[in-house]
Amino acid sequence: MTMTRLDDTTTEAAGNQAAGLPRLLPLVPGLPEDLRAHLARHGRPPYGHKGQLINAVQQAGLTGRGGAAFPVHRKLAIVAAASGRTVIVANGAESEPASHKDALLLRAAPNLVLDGLQLAAEAIGASDAHLFLHPDVSPEITRALAQRQAAGLDRLVVTITEAPPRFLAGQESALVNRLAGGPAVPTFTPPRVTERGLGGAPTLVQNVETLAHLALIARYGPRWFRALGTKNEPGSMLATVHTEHGAQVIEAELGIPLRNLLPATQDSQAVLIGGFHGAWLPASAVHGLTLDNAALNNHGAAVGAGVIAALPADRCGLTESARVVHYLATESAGQCGPCLNGLPRMAAALGVLAGSGHHSQVRKDLERWAGLVTGRGACNHPDGTVRFVRSALTVFGPEISLHARGHCSATNRKPFLPLPNALPTSEEDWI
Amino acid sequence: MSGATGFWYASRATGILALVLLTAVLVLGILVNRQGRLPGLPRFAVTSLHRNISLLAVAFIAVHVLTAVLDTFVSIPVLSSVIPFASGYERFWLGLGAISFDLMLAMIITSLVRGRLNRILWRAIHLLAYLCWPVAFAHSIGSSKDLQHGWLLDLSIACALAVAAAVAWRLASAARQLPRAARVAAVFAQHAPHGTRQRISR
Repeated sequence: MTMTRLDDTTTEAAGNQAAGLPRLLPLVPGLPEDLRAHLARHGRPPYGHKGQLINAVQQAGLTGRGGAAFPVHRKLAIVAAASGRTVIVANGAESEPASHKDALLLRAAPNLVLDGLQLAAEAIGASDAHLFLHPDVSPEITRALAQRQAAGLDRLVVTITEAPPRFLAGQESALVNRLAGGPAVPTFTPPRVTERGLGGAPTLVQNVETLAHLALIARYGPRWFRALGTKNEPGSMLATVHTEHGAQVIEAELGIPLRNLLPATQDSQAVLIGGFHGAWLPASAVHGLTLDNAALNNHGAAVGAGVIAALPADRCGLTESARVVHYLATESAGQCGPCLNGLPRMAAALGVLAGSGHHSQVRKDLERWAGLVTGRGACNHPDGTVRFVRSALTVFGPEISLHARGHCSATNRKPFLPLPNALPTSEEDWI
Repeated sequence: MSGATGFWYASRATGILALVLLTAVLVLGILVNRQGRLPGLPRFAVTSLHRNISLLAVAFIAVHVLTAVLDTFVSIPVLSSVIPFASGYERFWLGLGAISFDLMLAMIITSLVRGRLNRILWRAIHLLAYLCWPVAFAHSIGSSKDLQHGWLLDLSIACALAVAAAVAWRLASAARQLPRAARVAAVFAQHAPHGTRQRISR
């Protein structure tokens, strides 16, 4: 498979058992909804319910769709309670190379995201609104903003900032650093950006998909939202599903069986869940699992930002993992010792395991380093990378033994997981 | 030994100890800044040492100031410990002491509320350490005949040399620091076994 371009990515509402889908994606798959279509489907954003929105979001049980699944109402309430100037940022800097859902949402339903941004801004009393996204979607968003301006839909002017193509660019503190004019690199917390963010102002950063859900909750209410999903993880989510046929963005109900998202025809050996900070699960385990954290956490995995990659049986999971960890190491911001010194060593060691020959010491080193870097970074980059590495060592254990004896089970050497070619070469690459 | 002389001795002794402690604080601070280590200690312990010794130094300085004021041998008004050049006795040298004390207070107070401060502001104030130490050193040498000869002079020179060496090391270490984009590559170059990078590169 070649790296999937967004233009090739098709959309479809998954889970035909679920009435009420798609919620976020266009009614006609693949046809972006312009302002006219958006207004016909959802009407104008319901301003003027400032106090009620946070309550409604709490009752709906909406969690952040950027990966951390943090309860949205709590972040809203913290910033709403802050005194003085506050800032809201819609985070569309989907930095995970295997995730395409935010870029697709921004193209397919920009007005839903922008409604959510304005409504959340009203709920917290924000004085500045920002949108952080990758350059390839900014022309469309700029056009959508101009149309909304003409229609008198927006109360706050939205400032667009383009994100550098760095894995950590969407991390909250890195995002705030970039918006402030600096490089998109994380800083230590506390303080969290909700306490001291852009220019020192309490800052609410929400993923663009989260804001789109919020715009729907503001219109249709928490009961409607909870009609899909599980009791503890209600609603729908966008997932990027990778199979041997390429990548698809699918809007799925939380709690559906994972096998519903994967093609029955593909012979998979393992499934990567949650992205490059996520975990590999053996295909056999995935079959009984559902798309929610309650089920996945038991297996050391999480929904994350919705990346689900079913590794075809003819590929080498060890080689794929080594490529990913090499990429993650090069995306270290180079600030914290454990990350800067640990990740490249782990990447190199995994590369050795993915080669051929017996290297029992290398495997021991990998496990030791994994323990040493965990919990010691300013952000969760080392921890997320370790989660990925540990799951690879477990799931591809038999493959490691095979490689140690000089063999490899793969018959197809084409890379499977998408990785960008542009690695950072100067400080400018973080700007 | 009368009470008054007791205060005088206590003031001199705590002053000397404070100079040694402040030297340690500055050297440790430089070590923390450059993410350096002390043999046998993890990095966080270096940071803790820096913080705790700085608080210890301030405690000694508080006793140093208090005993100097309480002592009746010379008259030093209490406010002259924070207001520079307000003392009739040794106006210039005690003025330097007040300046260094004020700078220390600024650094400690901003560090205690560091979480609520802008990092750039905290850092700017913390850089005052490079002004604070020389001023405190000049105060020590200038206002104390004790430090001007004998083994206490040797001790003072040792403190000055320690600070000079630490500052020189800091500048050299900053000059050696790789740009962000080259850091990971440098670690890879050290640790990737031959051929590995070729195999897993894209």
